[in-house]
Amino acid sequence: MDDYKFLFKVVLVGNAGVGKTCLVRRFTQGLFPPGQGATIGVDFMIKTVELENEKVKLQIWDTAGQERFRSITQSYYRSAHALILVYDISSQPTFDCLQDWLREIEEYASNKVLRVLVGNKTDREDREIPTSVGEDFANRHNMYFVETSAKEAENVERLFMVIASELMEQARSKELPRYETPALSSRSTSVGDGGCCGGRFS
Amino acid sequence: MGDEFPKEYDVIVVGTGMTESILAAAASRVGKRVLHLDSNEYYGGLWASFNFEGLQQWVGDCQKPKDETECKADPQLADGESAIKMRVLNPPTATNVKEQWHVPEAVESSGDDAKKAWSQEEVKKLYRKFNIDLAPKLLYSRGALVELLISSNIARYTEFRNVTRVVTWHEGKLTPVPCSRADVFATQNITVVEKRMLMNLLQECTEYEGNPEKLKKHENQSFLDFLKDKQLTDNLIHYVLYAIAMSTEETPCIEGMSRTQKFLLSLGRYGNTPFLWPMYGSGEIPQAFCRLCAVFGGLYHLKRGAEALIVGSDNTLKAIHSDRENLKSNYLVMGLDYAPDSFLPEESPGISRGVFLIDSSILAADKEHLTLLEFPPDESSGPVTIVEVGSLTNACPQGLYMVHMTTKQKGSAEEDLMSVAKKLMNFPGETDESKPNLVWSMFFNMKDTSTCDLGANTPTNLFLTSGPDLDLDFDFAIKQAKEIFSKMYPEDEFLPRAPDPEEIILDDDDEDKQKQPEEKASEEPQE
Repeated sequence: MDDYKFLFKVVLVGNAGVGKTCLVRRFTQGLFPPGQGATIGVDFMIKTVELENEKVKLQIWDTAGQERFRSITQSYYRSAHALILVYDISSQPTFDCLQDWLREIEEYASNKVLRVLVGNKTDREDREIPTSVGEDFANRHNMYFVETSAKEAENVERLFMVIASELMEQARSKELPRYETPALSSRSTSVGDGGCCGGRFS
Repeated sequence: MGDEFPKEYDVIVVGTGMTESILAAAASRVGKRVLHLDSNEYYGGLWASFNFEGLQQWVGDCQKPKDETECKADPQLADGESAIKMRVLNPPTATNVKEQWHVPEAVESSGDDAKKAWSQEEVKKLYRKFNIDLAPKLLYSRGALVELLISSNIARYTEFRNVTRVVTWHEGKLTPVPCSRADVFATQNITVVEKRMLMNLLQECTEYEGNPEKLKKHENQSFLDFLKDKQLTDNLIHYVLYAIAMSTEETPCIEGMSRTQKFLLSLGRYGNTPFLWPMYGSGEIPQAFCRLCAVFGGLYHLKRGAEALIVGSDNTLKAIHSDRENLKSNYLVMGLDYAPDSFLPEESPGISRGVFLIDSSILAADKEHLTLLEFPPDESSGPVTIVEVGSLTNACPQGLYMVHMTTKQKGSAEEDLMSVAKKLMNFPGETDESKPNLVWSMFFNMKDTSTCDLGANTPTNLFLTSGPDLDLDFDFAIKQAKEIFSKMYPEDEFLPRAPDPEEIILDDDDEDKQKQPEEKASEEPQE
C-alpha cells in the first residue's frame, strides 16, 4: 500500500548530457545505465526513503529531452518542491549555461522552491570547473551545492537525502510552497476548492 | 552529444496550439517519430498564456504591420517537386488589439484602511504573478477533455480548480444561479413551488433521450417555448435558458435539452458546479500533451519553424525546409497561424475577446470565487461568456481579479464587449461602490475557423488545425485531433493509457521495456 508521510516533487534541469538521468537512476535503482539511450516512456521515478522514522516519497522528474533545444515546457516547473540544477564539471559550456537556466527557473518556478546546484561527473579526470567555482556560484545564488559522480555512486544518495530532510523540515515549519490542488483522477472528488460534493440532481 | 539532427520523421508538427499538441502526443504515444516545432519562444501559439511582460511582447507583435516577406530558403528539389515559401513572420495572431491602463502610473501609498489603490508600476512589478490566457477555456467535469486526460494518464501533468459559482445577469443585477440540488434548496431567490418545478424540469432534461415519443412533440419548438409550456416562472426560465443551457431565445428545444443535460451530468464530480479551470491558465493544457509526446521520444524545438514546404507533383508534401535542412516527413500537421494564405479559407468568422483587471470581484463575496457568467444577449450585444479568476488560480496577484470575455465577432472586440463591461465595472470617473474598479483592459479579435473546411486547399498529407473556437470547453480541438489522427493512423489507438512509473521496468541492458499495465482501466465510481 502507499504509505508515506510526505510526498515531494523534485525536478532536474541542466544541459543535455550532464548526467541528469544517470543521477536519477543511480539513486532510484542503484545502477548506472551503460549506454545513454533515450529513456522512452519514463516520466518520473519514485523512491521512498526513511528519515527520522518517517517515510518520505520523492517523485523525481526528468526533462524528457526537451532541454536539448531549450524547449522545456513551463508546466514542467509548476508545483516543484525542489529543483536540481546540474552541470558537468568537465565541461565549461554546461557551467556557462547555468545563468540561462536560473533565469528560466525564476520565471516559472515558485520562488520558495528549494534549489540545489550539482556538479556531476567527479569521476572524470579532465575537470574544467574547480570545486570552489561551483561553490561560489551556488553561494551567490542562494543554492545548496554538492559534487557528485553518478558513475561511482559518490554523493548521490547524500544529495537526495539532504533534499528530503530539508523539505521535511520546511514542511513541518510550513515554509514549503503549498500546492493545494490534487490532480484529476477518476476516483478523487477533491479538486481545488471542493466545497460540498454529491449534490447531483437524480 | 547527439548533435546529429534526424532528417526523417513520420509526423512533423508545426505549432504548439491545442490540436497540434494533442496530435503530436497521440502519434508519439503509438511509436511514431515526431518532430514538434514552434517558431515562437513560448508554447501554445493561439492558445498561449502569458505573464504580464510576455503579454506586452505579444501585443507588440500583433501591432506590427503584416509582413509578406518570404523566407530566403533555397531548398534542394527533386524532379517534379516545388517549394512553397513561408513568410518570415507569421501574420499577427490577433487584430484590433487595444490595450489600455485605467490607473495612474504611480500612486503614493495611502492610509492602510482604504482599499488598495493600484498603479501601473505596481502591476508591472508583479508581472510574474500573471497568467493571462489568449483562449480561456473551462472543462466540463465529465467532458471529453477530462475523460481524455484520465484515460491517457496525461492528468498527472495538470492541476485544476473548481469553478465555485455560476452567476447570471437578471433584472439589471448579478445573481448566483443554483446548480446543485443543495443549491436549489438553499437559495432564497426562488420560492418553494419554483424549486419543485425546477427539479422536475431538470430531471426531465437528464432523461430526455430515453423518451423518444415525448421528444417528437418538441422537435420544431424552441427551448424557450418548451420552458414556457412547462409554465415555469420568468425567474426560472431565465436561469435555465441562459445560465444552465447557455442558450438564447432561438435555441432549438432538443439542443437546449442536450446542453442542460451536459451541464447536469458534470455536476457533483469534483465540486458544486460542473466546471474546472486549469491552474496557471488554459495554456498549460497543450503543454501537458507536449510533455507526453516528449516522454515517448518526440523531439522538441522552439524558436524554429519551416522556411518552405516541399511538395511533389502528386500534391503530397515531401519535406519541410527548416534551418537550411530538408526534413522529410510522411505527414505534416500545421497550426492555422503558420498556414500560407493559399491554404486558408477566404472568409472565416471571428471571436471578440476582452481581458480586464479589476480591484475586486464583479460580485463581492466573503471568499475568492471562480465565477462563470453567461451574459444574456440584449439589443447591444450577443451572449457573452465571462469567466472571472483570481489569485488562487495564479491568474493574477492577490487583490486583483481577471475577467475574460468572449463573444462572436460582429464589429471590433471593443465595440462588441464595451456595453457589457460598462455594466460590470467602474471605468475611470465612475464611483459605483457596488462595482469593482477597472485597472487595465485589453481587447482583440481572432479568427474562428472551427466551421471552415481546412482541407480544401492543402496537399493531401498536410493537415491544418484550427485555433480557439467560441465554445466554453476544449471539445472541438479534441474532436479535430481525433479526426486527423484517424486519417493518418486508422489502425492505431488514440492516446492509450501511458504507464505509471511503477509499471516500467528498466532493464540493465540497453533496451527499455514496458510492462503492459494489467486490467487497470480506471473505473468510474458509481454514484
